[in-house]
Amino acid sequence: MEIFLQACVNGLLIGGFYSLMGMGQNIIFGVMKIINFCHGEMLMIGMYLTFVFNSYFGLDPYLSIPLVVVIMFALGALIQHTLITPSLGTKSFTNLLFLTVGLGMLFQNLALVIFSPNYRTITTSYSSKTLSFGPVTMSLPKMISFIGLIIVTVALFWFLKYTPTGKKIRAVSQNPIGAEVVGINTKRIYIITYGLGCALAGIAGALLTLFYMVYPMVGASFSFKALIVVVVGGFGSIQGAFFAGIFLGLLETLSSLIVGPTYRDLTVFVTFIVILVVRQVIKLRRR
Amino acid sequence: MLNVSGLCSGYGNVQIIWDASFSVNDGEVVAILGSNGAGKTTLVRTITGMIRPWKGSVVFDGDELAGKSSRAILDHKIVQVPEGRQLFTEMSVYENLEMGAYSKETKAKLAESLEFVYKWFPKLKERRGQAAGTLSGGEQQMVAVGRALIGLPKLLILDEPSLGLAPNIVDDILSVAHSMAKEQGISVILVEQDITKALRMADRGYVVENGKITLEGTSEELEKNEHVKKAYLGI
Ligand SMILES: Nc1ncnc2c1ncn2[C@@H]1O[C@H](COP(=O)(O)OP(=O)(O)O)[C@@H](O)[C@H]1O
Ligand SMILES: [Mg+2]
Repeated sequence: MEIFLQACVNGLLIGGFYSLMGMGQNIIFGVMKIINFCHGEMLMIGMYLTFVFNSYFGLDPYLSIPLVVVIMFALGALIQHTLITPSLGTKSFTNLLFLTVGLGMLFQNLALVIFSPNYRTITTSYSSKTLSFGPVTMSLPKMISFIGLIIVTVALFWFLKYTPTGKKIRAVSQNPIGAEVVGINTKRIYIITYGLGCALAGIAGALLTLFYMVYPMVGASFSFKALIVVVVGGFGSIQGAFFAGIFLGLLETLSSLIVGPTYRDLTVFVTFIVILVVRQVIKLRRR
Repeated sequence: MLNVSGLCSGYGNVQIIWDASFSVNDGEVVAILGSNGAGKTTLVRTITGMIRPWKGSVVFDGDELAGKSSRAILDHKIVQVPEGRQLFTEMSVYENLEMGAYSKETKAKLAESLEFVYKWFPKLKERRGQAAGTLSGGEQQMVAVGRALIGLPKLLILDEPSLGLAPNIVDDILSVAHSMAKEQGISVILVEQDITKALRMADRGYVVENGKITLEGTSEELEKNEHVKKAYLGI
């Protein structure tokens, strides 16, 4: 029972990361109908930024988050403005596929050149502190990250629901023609959306850095997980991505516990395939 | 107030609109009539800047609008209720209406404009918290008209508001459009396939065929026209 509770907590934590990645991916998909294949690399850049701020400037990894947000937003906005928006005009899916996949490779290789393939970690004075809640133990960094994930997720929902810009993002993703009719500057929304998606991935990276190794390929598995979250949660659905992310995290840790790490990924994929099939069957029945 | 002359436009290199000229006066309801595929929507999109005109001019209150962006044209208070309504289906009725306030001025007057819209469409007040996509077709069309009215138009363009709606709802919506012109002094362009209904509401009309304006006249003249009778009224 204790092990089970512990696994649930760990699952929620990792699931929170998957959610954040999937939600960023889905905001981008909703607005531009593209899949951002370099989403994991944005997380990787966020991790390296946090690493650099900590090892060269002694900045606390959590205090570096505002800086990471600003840098990642600017990077995303720049990529959108100079590369993605012009490619959207060509209406070619392959162009955009190669563009974001290519950017991912570029960033991986840049990281390789700058930081070498070595695994990096950072430690702080509170790295090894732990907190106990009854039977569940959690390291302090994980606890802080967990709270950070909750704050960012709530802030994101609030932003999309209530702010003028958030409403415009939803408007463009629900009906681009309607958005033009009410005078929304779609190109500006593209820039904000992609910047926001990158900033969210960057935050995920920063929140991860204290208990996850940093290396150039670290983004790959998160890119992949974000993609699963998008498919299972529904393309463009922010709530869907939130729940699918949490579910994926729980499923991973619990199946690791129940069937063992060897069969973990198998269990996860079989479960998701079953979910997709069942959902499709229900959809067809309803017609 | 609106003076379109020699307007040409199309998609890619396919020309759809050929040398269209027409005008709309203050407080007038002008019908643009034509069968499916005649180019009515393309004409609306060209005037509202959603596609660029190739040639010709669109003068509104003395300003040349041809070639301006859709946003710039909106700032001249030419607001459209687009074909197919184009609502934000997962947003509430209220949020959809709110999105119609695109400028500082319209935002500042939002509360007042909302009351105005709710007065004309009381149903929308009842349904204001409901997602627009869950409304009936007629109610959705009311939201689309309401959203345009929140933009405080001087010229309101309705592109086939009757499409797919029950006749009595069409009458409601068209009579609101008529009142906007006659009581509020808003000029109205009513784009329709349903010529009988449109001419009943309009002061004047233009007939579009294959991207060209082939006939124009007052509603009475058009109703009596032999070609209109044969081709559109089935008499
Ligand atoms: N987005 C588009 N791209 C290319 N051709 C289009 C597009 N929209 C409409 N058309 C073509 O333009 C012509 C006029 O269409 P439209 O303006 O929608 O007519 P209407 O509104 O009178 O039914 C049609 O032949 C249609 O096929
Ligand atoms: Mg049309």
